[in-house]
Amino acid sequence: MSAAEAKGFRTAGDVPAELREDLSAVLLSLADNKRLLGMRYAEWLLGAPTLEAGIACSAMAQDEWGHSRIFYAMLKDFELDPGHLEHEREAGEYLNIELLDEPPPEWTGLVALNFLLDSALAVQFESLRDSRFEPLHYKVRKVLEEERFHYEHGRGWLARISETEAGRAALAAAFAPAWNSCLRWFGAPDGELIGRLADAGVCDADSNELRARWLARVGPVVHDAGLDLAARGADGTWRSNSGPDWSDWDGARRRSRGGGPNPGTLAAVRGDKNRTMLMD
Amino acid sequence: MGHLSGEHLYEIFARQKREDRLEHVGTISAPNAALARAYAWQTYDEQKWFEMVVAPRESFEAVNRDEEPFTLGPVEAR
Repeated sequence: MSAAEAKGFRTAGDVPAELREDLSAVLLSLADNKRLLGMRYAEWLLGAPTLEAGIACSAMAQDEWGHSRIFYAMLKDFELDPGHLEHEREAGEYLNIELLDEPPPEWTGLVALNFLLDSALAVQFESLRDSRFEPLHYKVRKVLEEERFHYEHGRGWLARISETEAGRAALAAAFAPAWNSCLRWFGAPDGELIGRLADAGVCDADSNELRARWLARVGPVVHDAGLDLAARGADGTWRSNSGPDWSDWDGARRRSRGGGPNPGTLAAVRGDKNRTMLMD
Repeated sequence: MGHLSGEHLYEIFARQKREDRLEHVGTISAPNAALARAYAWQTYDEQKWFEMVVAPRESFEAVNRDEEPFTLGPVEAR
């Protein structure tokens, strides 16, 4: 079914019950990933390799927190309480990719999040731009406008660090785990969340197509940086040189089984130190 | 300001409306054009720009002066 021929959903109430849960799970996943990614950017406000990079991290952190706010707020329409979602959940309830559970130990790890993960999130947002769930249209466009510069930032740093042999080795170490996680994050090929939403016209591509779009975007850049992660096939499409490894995949949370943000991360994203000031 | 090796200065020009002229709004240091674009947009973000462009400082040709373009001299006594 194409989004054009299907009747649009103006509110969550218009969404059939069996789809509503899938849609709210995708929105919560995007909100959680943006919230945590924003925190990872913010951790480099001080201590980034250059002053400009620190300023860029500050700007990207603000963007991500703004985006996560928008999507937590949208979930109110799905009868979820944004206050609870933002401040009261336990680690095991977060729908974030495992890459964000802990802070990356080095700048190359932040570049991997910036280039690989932020691009994966952008690919998912793009698939919702003309969603049958109409409240997304304007919001997704706003998000994507800002994301453009996140991609440029990641691409620029990848090119910069890959100029030296030592830089390429550091990038290879940081990018390998991030690559597998991002590849897998779009979901297993059959019968999962994204596939059901694509069938219903809520997003415009299934898991495999989203993965292909992401590979087309990040593949040429990592290849040019000398990383052995992706190659162009005879038909011109970009393919991953490995995986994904599905061995511990949890399709419902779209991450590795068990786990969640580590205690320090959880306390910070929830605002645990400010509990006495929460009004309601 | 000291910067890492491999960095270049980029000059930033922007305008808020299509009918405005591009104005020089600042300078940033970046190792390549992708980062120059990202830094320019993320640093000079107080205004909502209709258009922003960047160019490496070394791409500018001096016209009437012998010194490097964009060189700031000592403040002259008034």
